Amino acid sequence: MQEAKIKFDHVTKIFETRSQTITAVKDYSMEIQAGEFISILGPSGCGKSTLIRMLDGIIDTTEGDILIDGVKVNHKGKKMPSSVLRKLGFIFQQPNMLPWYTVRQNVALPLRVFGLKGPEWDNRVEELLEMVGLKEYADAHPNEISGGMLQRAGVIRAMVHDPEILLMDEPFGALDEMTREQMNMELLEIWEKTGKTIIFITHNIEEAVLLSSRVYVMGTNPGRLVETVTLDLPRPRKLSMITQKDFIEYRQLLESYIGEIDLSKIK
Amino acid sequence: MAQSTPVRRTPKKERDPKRIIAPLVVLAVLYIGLEIFLRVFNVAAYVMPTPTHIIQATISSFHIILPDFLFTLKIICVGFCIAIPAGILLAALFSQFDILVKAMQPVVIWLVITPMITLIPLMTLWLGTDPNLRVIIVIIQATPIICLNTLNGFTHVEREKLELARSVGASKLQTFVSIIFMNALPQVFTGIKLGCIFSTIGAVSADFVSRGQGLGDRIIKFTKYSNFEESYGCIILIALIGITLYTVVEMIEKRIVLWKK
Ligand SMILES: Nc1ncnc2c1ncn2[C@@H]1O[C@H](COP(=O)(O)OP(=O)(O)O)[C@@H](O)[C@H]1O
Ligand SMILES: [Mg+2]
Repeated sequence: MQEAKIKFDHVTKIFETRSQTITAVKDYSMEIQAGEFISILGPSGCGKSTLIRMLDGIIDTTEGDILIDGVKVNHKGKKMPSSVLRKLGFIFQQPNMLPWYTVRQNVALPLRVFGLKGPEWDNRVEELLEMVGLKEYADAHPNEISGGMLQRAGVIRAMVHDPEILLMDEPFGALDEMTREQMNMELLEIWEKTGKTIIFITHNIEEAVLLSSRVYVMGTNPGRLVETVTLDLPRPRKLSMITQKDFIEYRQLLESYIGEIDLSKIK
Repeated sequence: MAQSTPVRRTPKKERDPKRIIAPLVVLAVLYIGLEIFLRVFNVAAYVMPTPTHIIQATISSFHIILPDFLFTLKIICVGFCIAIPAGILLAALFSQFDILVKAMQPVVIWLVITPMITLIPLMTLWLGTDPNLRVIIVIIQATPIICLNTLNGFTHVEREKLELARSVGASKLQTFVSIIFMNALPQVFTGIKLGCIFSTIGAVSADFVSRGQGLGDRIIKFTKYSNFEESYGCIILIALIGITLYTVVEMIEKRIVLWKK
């Protein structure tokens, strides 16, 4: 078998706060191949964000290793090297734009930090702005554009340095239903065009089934992997599929793993 | 919060002529009102001279006032211009270390509250009586308030913004320049604007204590010889220095801090 693009090898994360010790992620292992679109599904507080933030070098692991392309990337107390971070693009739950920069400057921020200069990168910024319909708002400040547009800017900021892996932490959770559906479809298009590896975090079962090839179901207390479900649904996925029989079956299967909690109602 | 329609929100307010005209109207009304009130009720000049008399007297005595005006202007401007970078740099230094923030914040607050003219008698002992030393009073009066506000900005950054920096592997310097400093800019400007006021107070109160030169000193002299019109003229000049500084800072702020409505 091919070497995994991303591998979690018995990863544990423990938070020590003044009053308590929280095991946010316990003994988590998974392997993701290059070009896959997978989802991590679970209720609020089950450690989804913690998991993906360890992979993006935002926080340390407590135990276990994370490997990208077979190379261990987590080293206690050390910043993740630039060469690794360049392979990753992180999309936050909130747009997380810097209000003092224009949309264009925000989108180009990773380029500045990674030291990627030149006309080809400038062109890439413009192409991405064009792709998500932000071209004419490129010189606006974030407080001048709508939430949906801000989140689009967040998506292309994560893609601007052409990373091989996109990490998305409930990226469209703050958007209204219709915008979210639209963004999901745009995301699938981007994935089909670019072949990036995508880890998509959500607490929405339908979204997980619609988008991904495999769903990792997490449970709380402690945050851990409960079940892995491979989705044998045709591609390209379409919104109309949500009423089809096998789609509904997958949805019900995942609901049964999650238990009584109706995740779509959790906000 | 989330809006889905790709519609640009209402653009920032264009320069509104009302914002310039309205205060001028208030000023004119005040001027005329005062003039009429003081004349009708025959208020004594040592209580309050009429605005017209103040202006007339101030203009005719201006050759006496001018050297003091220039002296005070110099003290305020030099002190203020040193206090700005001093306050910001100190805040930047403190913000690098959590312990230093905790240790220095109460000290800075303590310095903000202390009226620095209380140091003048002692300073005269240490440094001599050169009037230019009043700059030091301005600096130590204005620096703490600038430092305090800036520090407040430096230490209140949303966690997500710092995580963004981490997720692209930004260096400490990049994070400071692009996120921590920019995030603090509105507060930095608040500190600087307060610094204008503190500088002016510092300079004039130093004149009161040390005497010999400056608008503060000139007010005391005029009052002593019953030139109340000129005293009021000097007060207005001091206010003008403060207001002008404040306005300049505010104009610069509006040019730079574009993201605040
Ligand atoms: N920095 C932190 N310090 C202490 N506890 C934390 C921290 N970050 C997350 N946690 C805790 O870890 C658990 C998992 O949180 P999180 O990963 O954000 O869950 P999810 O993203 O699935 O909602 C929660 O109980 C949360 O309170
Ligand atoms: Mg989360």
